[in-house]
Amino acid sequence: MPKTIRTGLIAFAFLSYLIFIGVPGRIGENALPILAVVAGLFFWLNLRREVGRKGDSVHVLRAGLQAGATAGLLIAMESGLFATLLGNGVSIQPVFDKIVPQNIAALLGVRPGAIAQAQVPLLRYLLQVVYFTGSGLLGALAVAAVGASLRTYFSRPAMVSAGRWLVIALPFVLLAIVIYLGLPNVKLFSTNRGTVRLLLTLVTTGSGLFALRLTRPGRERMAVATLLGLGVLSMPFALDQFQNSVMGIVFIYVMMGLGLNIVVGYAGLLDLGYVAFFAIGAYTYAFVSAPFSSPFIRSLLLDLGVSADSPLLGYWMALPLAMITATIGGILLGIPVLRLRGDYLAIVTLGFGEIIRLFMLNLGELTNGPRGILQISQPGLFGLAPDAFSSGQLSSQGWIFLLALLSSALIAFIAIRLNDSRLGRAWIAMQEDEDVAQATGVHLVRTKLLAFAIGATFAGLAGQLYAARQINIFPENFSLFVSIDALALIIVGGIGSAPGIVLGALALKGLPEVLRGVDEYRIVTFAALLVIMMIVRPAGILPSARRRFERDSSDLDDGEDEIVVNSG
Amino acid sequence: MTTLLAVQGVTKMFGGLTAVDNVDLEIVERSITSLIGPNGAGKTTLFNCLTGLHRPDTGEIVFAGRSLVGLRSDEITARGIARTYQNIRLFGRMTALENVLVGQHLRLRASHWAAVLRTARQQAEERAAREIGRALLDFVGLGGQEEIISTNLPYGEQRLLEVARALGSRPRLLLLDEPAAGMNPRETERMMELVHRLRNERGVTVFLIEHNMKVVMSISEEVTVLDYGKKIAAGAPEAVRSNPRVIEAYLGPEVDQDLRIDREMQDIT
Repeated sequence: MPKTIRTGLIAFAFLSYLIFIGVPGRIGENALPILAVVAGLFFWLNLRREVGRKGDSVHVLRAGLQAGATAGLLIAMESGLFATLLGNGVSIQPVFDKIVPQNIAALLGVRPGAIAQAQVPLLRYLLQVVYFTGSGLLGALAVAAVGASLRTYFSRPAMVSAGRWLVIALPFVLLAIVIYLGLPNVKLFSTNRGTVRLLLTLVTTGSGLFALRLTRPGRERMAVATLLGLGVLSMPFALDQFQNSVMGIVFIYVMMGLGLNIVVGYAGLLDLGYVAFFAIGAYTYAFVSAPFSSPFIRSLLLDLGVSADSPLLGYWMALPLAMITATIGGILLGIPVLRLRGDYLAIVTLGFGEIIRLFMLNLGELTNGPRGILQISQPGLFGLAPDAFSSGQLSSQGWIFLLALLSSALIAFIAIRLNDSRLGRAWIAMQEDEDVAQATGVHLVRTKLLAFAIGATFAGLAGQLYAARQINIFPENFSLFVSIDALALIIVGGIGSAPGIVLGALALKGLPEVLRGVDEYRIVTFAALLVIMMIVRPAGILPSARRRFERDSSDLDDGEDEIVVNSG
Repeated sequence: MTTLLAVQGVTKMFGGLTAVDNVDLEIVERSITSLIGPNGAGKTTLFNCLTGLHRPDTGEIVFAGRSLVGLRSDEITARGIARTYQNIRLFGRMTALENVLVGQHLRLRASHWAAVLRTARQQAEERAAREIGRALLDFVGLGGQEEIISTNLPYGEQRLLEVARALGSRPRLLLLDEPAAGMNPRETERMMELVHRLRNERGVTVFLIEHNMKVVMSISEEVTVLDYGKKIAAGAPEAVRSNPRVIEAYLGPEVDQDLRIDREMQDIT
């Protein structure tokens, strides 16, 4: 199949997806031109690669024409099919609930009534073909005409420098907008201001990481990092309860991701039961914070003559306890799996995660079973009750977000420094070749257990904060999906890279909340985004230097193969 | 002339196959000894027994007066034995310098807490380790290539890097498993020179497996020959080369060849 036809098919699949989730119907009468522009953008991105291979612009224009016509014809056929079916009273709605007259009508640029009565002029279908062919041409034109000249223009040193400073300034501008939108009396069209602000917050945080990466090491980076740090720290004060609660969970996952990254990314031990340590941390804090919710602890305390009606320990006093229990959990899991590698390790850890959850579910005397531990107390600070915050600028969720931010920063600091030491080198060596690492002098047992224990400790910290955030925790909070989410955010962000993990968490835990707008197609949209992401950036959004080198060298190999194929 | 390594009656079996059969061996301190033999003679298995990757079924291995049998490979490395591998096994995603730093792993003492806090002591140790790493890369001839990812190095240089990594643990005995395999004559020349310098400048005892007879004969002071797991000859290179059992192991028994020719003649007629 020619490459251009394939491009057209991909564009068609993408547009069909938009049709199936009812995008044209939502846009209304201008749906066709808007979709054509979106398609044009897609063609532009796709054809840009073409121009690198064969520089000639006629070739690019022909490619754009072919791809656009393919997509246009298929879309016309698809909408013709749906229009005919709907016009003849065939009900598709039970299967595809967004394929309704209104949606298809918007796609064709007619009134919904015309669809229902099967009176769509043929011209309308032709128009569709023309529009999408046009978008293909437009994309190609953009590539052919401006591509080369623009590139030379933008690669001038002055432009590069300006672009760099623009990106560095971006997070601060965005932050200002976020804060501005939070002011009373600011109206943003008619859309949901909270969601827009959340999206902006996510983008701000993410762009900050890119900005940091663009700075030159040394004084410049320190300065920008300090400013960015201050900006991020101001967020919990500026956001409202909804955005703070989403950002809180995002950063709790960052804490977990950073911990899991030590186990999976650095030491290369695939752990699918990471939620176990999260649960251990959460329940440890729950037990000491809300002893009255656990029948066993309650009676034990009463036997000892201690009142069980109030928390035994506050958040900060319980912190070392939660960490230690999680560490012990990590070592206990680590010892039996020391000899396991790869798939076997994944299966056993998966089981371990489930065992802990089932413990929490069935150990009713201790954990109150599915009824959960209720009324876990909120963290205070130096005698300040959490209520003191909510009366002021900082909401209770903002306080959790702030704590999650600070804990993430601490964990990232420790993780990065460990990775930079002989322990980090031993981890990577072990990941590359266990036998050789040992023969080179790495104590495998100690190194593996350290990875498990440190990873578990961080998960315990995250769990404790999570328990405080949720106030009531139940065994189903600690299902397999927590492990999978934590693993997925590492992979999406870029294994082994701390900034990547923050981005991964923003994308995986933050974005779905923004996407609540597309209601039932939220998860599908999200999945589509993930798939696209993995195609565009297979090593993660911000891969670690190591992974990037690896990609580079494999790209080189691909190139060599191609030459061989061509000459043969 | 003190004995650094003594192998006494070491046997290693894999199922029914006796890979190493009752081998005795002595290596003198600051010597260069070669281990040769046809493919599948058990040379690498013997190396694996020496470095703790395999545990010998019977026999004793004494290094610098202490037994090595039953120790983990990292403990053996700590005692002062380091090795390279027949099929290069570098940490491919690490830079050349990082590979040598892993080699120094067990010579570094700073605690992990110190690494988090970046104490002055830990920093000084890291700096020193980097210095040593650079010096070792210089020594094997990879100066200036510290930051290159090891898989991106040319084949011959990867072999040199393996030697540098092994030297990181400050070994007294270095085991080289076919150091010149797959190298062109110039690279082979470089490797041979390196082996000499290892012994002369750093006082490292070298024990190597090699197939290239030119290398073996010109480099070693002592040669041991294995065939089907058994030691069939040992001694000075010249003596070993003219040993009829060694020739037989490499070329096959003469009688057999005559027989085969006879049979073939019969088939034809």
